[in-house]
Amino acid sequence: MIDLQLKVDPFPIVEPLVIRLQTVQASRFPAASENDAMLVYHDENIADFDVGGFSLRVHTTDAQSLDGDVVLVTPGRNTLHRLIRASSRHNTLLITEQCDQKCIMCSQPPKKHHTDLFDYFLQAVLLAPAQTTIGLSGGEPLLHKARLFEFLEKAQSARPDIRFHILTNGQHFDKRDRTSLSALNMRSILWGVPIYAANAAAHDQIVVKAGAHKTLQKNLAILGTCGAVLELRTVLLNSNVLHLEDLANHITKHQSFASVWAIMQLENIGYARMNWDREFYDSSFSFVDVAKAIDLATGRGMETLLYNFPLCSVPSEYRRFCVASISDWKQKYLSTCDGCSLRSTCTGFFEWYSENKGFKGIVAQ
Amino acid sequence: MNVWPLQFRKIGENDLLFSDDSGSFFRSDDLFLDRYIQGALTHEDAEFLAYNGQAFETDGDFAFSGFASRWAKRINTAGDLSYFILVPTLRCNLMCDYCQVSRAAENASGFDWDRDTLEQVINLLDKQKANQVKVEFQGGEPLLRLDLLDAIRNFCRSRFEAAEFVVCTNLQTVSEEAWQFLEAPDTHVSTSFDGTSKFHLKQRTKTTTVQRQFEANLDVALTRLGVDRVSALPTIDPSDCPDPAAVIHAFAARSLTSIYLRRINYQGFARKKYGFDSALVDWRQYYRRFIAALIEYNTTADVPMEEYYLTHILRRILQSGHNNHVDLRNPNWLGKDLLVIDFNGQLYPTDEARMVSRIGKIDLSIGSLEDGIDANRVATLNSNVSNFDDPDCVHCAYKAYCGLDPIDDLSRYGRVDLPRHQTDHCKSHLDLFDYAFSLLYSADPTVQKSLAIWIGVPNYNPKIAPRTL
Ligand code: SF4
Ligand code: SF4
Repeated sequence: MIDLQLKVDPFPIVEPLVIRLQTVQASRFPAASENDAMLVYHDENIADFDVGGFSLRVHTTDAQSLDGDVVLVTPGRNTLHRLIRASSRHNTLLITEQCDQKCIMCSQPPKKHHTDLFDYFLQAVLLAPAQTTIGLSGGEPLLHKARLFEFLEKAQSARPDIRFHILTNGQHFDKRDRTSLSALNMRSILWGVPIYAANAAAHDQIVVKAGAHKTLQKNLAILGTCGAVLELRTVLLNSNVLHLEDLANHITKHQSFASVWAIMQLENIGYARMNWDREFYDSSFSFVDVAKAIDLATGRGMETLLYNFPLCSVPSEYRRFCVASISDWKQKYLSTCDGCSLRSTCTGFFEWYSENKGFKGIVAQ
Repeated sequence: MNVWPLQFRKIGENDLLFSDDSGSFFRSDDLFLDRYIQGALTHEDAEFLAYNGQAFETDGDFAFSGFASRWAKRINTAGDLSYFILVPTLRCNLMCDYCQVSRAAENASGFDWDRDTLEQVINLLDKQKANQVKVEFQGGEPLLRLDLLDAIRNFCRSRFEAAEFVVCTNLQTVSEEAWQFLEAPDTHVSTSFDGTSKFHLKQRTKTTTVQRQFEANLDVALTRLGVDRVSALPTIDPSDCPDPAAVIHAFAARSLTSIYLRRINYQGFARKKYGFDSALVDWRQYYRRFIAALIEYNTTADVPMEEYYLTHILRRILQSGHNNHVDLRNPNWLGKDLLVIDFNGQLYPTDEARMVSRIGKIDLSIGSLEDGIDANRVATLNSNVSNFDDPDCVHCAYKAYCGLDPIDDLSRYGRVDLPRHQTDHCKSHLDLFDYAFSLLYSADPTVQKSLAIWIGVPNYNPKIAPRTL
């Protein structure tokens, strides 16, 4: 597992600080901006960076791996947050922990309190490596949509090369947002929106919000008519596995403007860990319903992908739909995987995956 | 509830196929039709139509925009010019039965681009907005002018971000230099192979020596370029056609996985002599026999095979965005994304238009390298390229999947405004769609196995072809 937070020694600031760490002279990041901090000393356990004449001591065993990272240092805290890791394709900014749904498989259960970090996120985006894709997630980012749209507009005008992947529950759009959305470069934003069933009652039960499905249908149409690039996301659960084929039909009929439909295996953290025994569907045991859904959606021209499915849990003819989707910092393999010929393309498992409660059919290939 | 207008057509013994403008379809019966016409749809009917995306509650609701999206995605928008068919020479070293008009003798003069022409072609390519290009070299036999091919390819490689080349060659005489040219990874070979040695010899090579030469070169092409970069297209004469199984095995033996059956296309005099309607009936029978053999072959084959055009038809029925075939897209814009440059610098909207013009019956050129594209002629050709408002097509259940082919109409009838059902394009496509739907609704597992392969899915899900029954 890769650390997203690192221990630092107390640092004399009163405002949060966004800086870019540099470990090599004349590296690929121009050290022109005042937000750049050069490595001045390091040994096996620490790395000292020069921040405007002050020394920031970071506890790390691998100083070089931090090159180009954009980090947030907060006054009075002895950790820094690696907001954007230059060496990774998986960088996500947590916009808020608030949410209006309580999905039974939520990996990031909502909290009441919100701290607005948009200004720091904007600084971070400006320092990101070229052509990066940055995830924006929550909670529900659109709960703060005025600030979010403002952030996106500024970020896009300063850094048109950056792409965003926004995860939203799709509950908070209305017709008036068309103006804000049209002001954005919609081609470089991917909207990831969950939908769990075509059947409204089944969907509402999963997201624990009455009327959510109806609102979602209306808002997906708004996104579609604004030219949004859309990724529909469906976590596979015992609650919806029998709805999957109907959902494939629904999407190809009513959301055919979506670019991709992702069927996702469960991540056992947050509420999903609590509900694991009830909701984990072992697709290595029976893949029939997933297969039917893929056959229907793909046959109608909807690109369909499988996220978080270990390759050996999927019949060989369906493996081409699998994506190595698990983020590098929380990905692991099992001892079974040693010597498996598919390992280099396999998504593996979440760090917190527990073998005895998981897939029955994990076999090296 | 509002139901989008439905067109219908008899399929099978007692059933009807219903479809709407977005391409959603289902199978039902006369009783449904009666209820639909009388405005007496039941609650179950309404639920079914909503499920199938063929109804909406209020203007602008999600079902409405879902339909609008599906409808819009089927439209072929006029793209930037990025596909060029180039004819650097009309000379050829072979004399196939059906080709007298589009070739000149190998040693004839005055049938090649000269230096000026080459320069003009390059200037024209240079002017394009698109950042990618596809160039198809036609002839005559383009390999007779490897120098011109090389000049064009070099220019395109440096001018465009992505460039792809297809050399349409008879593979009769290929020098080592030519092989080296063809070996480049951005270059493909398209050749004619009339299904079996016997028919290829009869229709094209005429002598066993020449036939052996061709087959040897085809094998070299497959080995040196790989099967992915070689396609071989059989031209079939419906009145004297090879056994389907023999064709399939001849292709399979060479690891070729796609067969594009082309019905022989006589021009001018020959067209009358062979009698077109009877040829069409023969063709239909042959085509069905061929697909049946293909389905049988696929039940046990390690590497399955397709008939290219049937795959195209099936995908156009089920999916949107398949606008890469100039015989079948809607609207079928002419002189927009594709341009043919003939050996003499004349410009044409399609290769068929070039052939027809060569007979001298009708001039379908849209300008020349000297004078540029004639916008008036292009506009005239484009006055009737969509089936949206064709008085016959509007009632047709296959409208969403079909398209017009004005060049074919002009070449056969000299006009574009014939009642659709009298045109060869309409007759043959009605039949193809009928056949495709009979396959989509087939319960035969061997048919479904082939359908899955052709549609591009691991297994066929019959729900893709819904029915109310
Ligand atoms: S054994 Fe491990 S690496 Fe191999 S396919 Fe299964 S999960 Fe992936
Ligand atoms: S051309 Fe014929 S088959 Fe095609 S849409 Fe028109 S009427 Fe139907």
